[in-house]
Amino acid sequence: MKKPLKPSDISKKSDCLCRIEEGELAPLPPPYEDFNQNIPTPLKAEKTGNIETSLDNTVAIGIPRPASKEEEEALIKQFLSGLQKLFEKENNWTFLQPLLLSLEHCARCQTCSEACPVFEMSGRQEIYRPIFRSEVLRRIYKKYIKPGGKLTAKFTGDIDLNWEAIARLAELSYRCTLCRRCASVCPIGVDNGLIAREIRKLFSQEMGIAPKELHDMGTIQHLKTGSSTGMTAAAAKDSVEFIQEEMKEITGYEVEIPWDVEGADILLIHNAGEILSWPENVGAFAIIFQAAGLSWTLSSETAGYDVVNYGIWYDDVQLSRVAVRHADIARRLKVKKIVIGECGHAHKALTVIADRLLTGDLNIPRESAMVTLENIVMSGKLKFDPQKNDFPVTLHDPCNVVRSMGIVEPQRRILKKLAPRFREMTPHGVDNYCCGGGSGFAIMSRYNFAEWRNLVSSRKKFLQILKAFENESPETPKYVCAPCSNCKGTIRDIIHYYRAEERSRLYYGGLVELTVNALAGMKKPIINFGDKPSWE
Amino acid sequence: MGYYILTYLCLAVFITAVGRLMYRHLTIPVHLRWEIYPVQGEPADKVSYGGSYMEEMNWWEKKRKSSRVNEIFYMAPEILLMRGLWKENKRLWQMSFPLHLGLYLMLATFLLLSISSVSTLCGFAEDGGIMIVNGLSVATGWIGLIAGVIGSTGMLYKRLADRELRDYSTFADYFNIVFILIFFLCAFVAASTVDPLFNASRDYVLGLFSAGRAVPAYVPGRSLPGALTIILASLLTAYIPLTHLSHMFMKFFLYHRVKWDDTPNRPGSPIETAVKKNLEYRPTWKARHVDTDGKLSWREIASSAPKEMK
Ligand code: SF4
Ligand code: SF4
Repeated sequence: MKKPLKPSDISKKSDCLCRIEEGELAPLPPPYEDFNQNIPTPLKAEKTGNIETSLDNTVAIGIPRPASKEEEEALIKQFLSGLQKLFEKENNWTFLQPLLLSLEHCARCQTCSEACPVFEMSGRQEIYRPIFRSEVLRRIYKKYIKPGGKLTAKFTGDIDLNWEAIARLAELSYRCTLCRRCASVCPIGVDNGLIAREIRKLFSQEMGIAPKELHDMGTIQHLKTGSSTGMTAAAAKDSVEFIQEEMKEITGYEVEIPWDVEGADILLIHNAGEILSWPENVGAFAIIFQAAGLSWTLSSETAGYDVVNYGIWYDDVQLSRVAVRHADIARRLKVKKIVIGECGHAHKALTVIADRLLTGDLNIPRESAMVTLENIVMSGKLKFDPQKNDFPVTLHDPCNVVRSMGIVEPQRRILKKLAPRFREMTPHGVDNYCCGGGSGFAIMSRYNFAEWRNLVSSRKKFLQILKAFENESPETPKYVCAPCSNCKGTIRDIIHYYRAEERSRLYYGGLVELTVNALAGMKKPIINFGDKPSWE
Repeated sequence: MGYYILTYLCLAVFITAVGRLMYRHLTIPVHLRWEIYPVQGEPADKVSYGGSYMEEMNWWEKKRKSSRVNEIFYMAPEILLMRGLWKENKRLWQMSFPLHLGLYLMLATFLLLSISSVSTLCGFAEDGGIMIVNGLSVATGWIGLIAGVIGSTGMLYKRLADRELRDYSTFADYFNIVFILIFFLCAFVAASTVDPLFNASRDYVLGLFSAGRAVPAYVPGRSLPGALTIILASLLTAYIPLTHLSHMFMKFFLYHRVKWDDTPNRPGSPIETAVKKNLEYRPTWKARHVDTDGKLSWREIASSAPKEMK
């Protein structure tokens, strides 16, 4: 039996602090038992080279090991300087109060452990316990930042600081999806998700250490080329033109997707991943907005056609830059409000978090597309035929939309009206489980990280989906409605990894597709199950 | 007099430490929103499933409905009965609840004894009202002591016996619980042997209010358990706000200032004024994409391009 690790073990010399063994992950039901022995493929030294892998043989960031003792010492110094800044209002007014409260008041009661899907599904690997990483940071803070900390360390919890501790802590902050399920059950209100994000911030804002997908290919590329997908405005316009044609084929009438209309009521901003991977989502919005007679526009300004804000996952400075860019585009277009497409983290970033960043004329009202859609569906202006959606449907709740924003019922009211075979997952709403792709995991796939996600952080969601459809025959096509691009991408990967399309006929898509699929007067369905249309 | 001085000093430490904590959290910059739903300040129909005002179309044009009453209705059983722990971790609640109940009832007993002492000092007759207060203090005192002994013994046992708790417990965690346990044991022995009706305790409190001059002010140290109780109770009072045990009252900030803080930033509101102030802070983060040597404000940085783009 493995000896359980303690927070102080983070600085222990070892090639691999925690190795997931075959059969340790939570078991999957039939017909997926053949995956029960799968574990993330161990990394080969020739592939990782000088990269630090000693946390759990999985890599999210890929931090090079220091070449010398001096370099190691300089890195430790940099880390401590960043840690100090987390407690200064000039540097961290953004989250100083929540951080202090969460660091200083944990009773170490372990109530949060049972709520964490990563910890549970990993077979209760100690390092994934919600308070493991928080306790490491708490001890370092108390010992190395608080006055007299070295003297009181034996009393308040000792910990050594070395390169291993720092590099593992950085990696460990990327084994939490920031779903904040742990925070919602903590009797004191301590937020381990917040602490994980603060750790990520320290590394990014002080040491320039962050996963490439989030920083270089993420926020930097977003601000530079206009989209974190790398898509330029011209390419976005081309794709949208193609979407228009496709929608004409489906609906039988001309769909006009407006660009840069000054004075429109609504600026609709999609996650550009939709334009690239799920064009039917963009098309469905255009169909229903046009049919409802809304005054709306897309923007072709840099970042104006991609609502993502990866800063929310790792960096407040980048978060602010992207939010200000979005708001400024809306201000210049003189729209009445921004409607955020089906992208969960963008909902929270632009509506909730940026709320205390945007002042004066940048504070343009922001609304969730789910609210806008509900209003269209319930207004009675359009005719729907729910029988077109006569297949089993379940709803995945994006954490950022439900737990972090309280938008729970609009999407349900639509589904209850338009999807006669809708059933809930257990649990759902504000108690939901993350898809496993939260906090950037959906788009992180270097080394063996995607495999870790499919096997560990997404496992609970996969089990929940299977449970929601357990009474359906394996031959019946089933629709997982995921109104968020990143969740959708994660669920796509789960279905692919576990071959769930072949074994359980699982399909996935957004909410607006399901809405338009039931719209009366369409020539063809917008939802297809493989190459079979969802209705004839 | 030495006992009184110790108690005064400890009360002064308590007041200063609590005041410092409160001041720090009342004057700290307004942070970015980070609420978790259900937010109990929402109207009851929304609270029932965790909904928010953001579910409404054009919510910013409407008057915001929020309910302090809901917050209070939620918070009272949360603090007094530890409802959250009951719901999520019943096994721990079985020990943690009596421990907390014991501490709350000790505080209640002190307050009741204070009311009684002040009324004596003011020369009020020992009428029915005071008799009820005295009777109540005996009840809260005894229930509190029994609950406290059971709770602190149980919590100590749990911390030692449960591997998951033990591996995360620091020396300070054991010290805290042993400290509380010894206090409850001493107080229990003192009450059982020399002060079953808390008359001596009332006299001591009377002495506290009169700097030891009122008659018949209790002369501490008449019994060893009595003396130890006074010393430990005083030290514990000073100690609690210096440790994470302060969560008992700091929970207010964790809930009201973070978990339930969904106040929108409306134009011209105090939140907007606070945000504008925050945006003038000049950060000194060193990573390449921020590095400004403290010369630029958050506002300027937010509308600038990262260095990687230049
Ligand atoms: S974070 Fe909350 S639930 Fe978790 S151990 Fe700390 S106090 Fe307990
Ligand atoms: S935020 Fe979610 S993934 Fe992270 S520790 Fe908490 S429950 Fe686990």
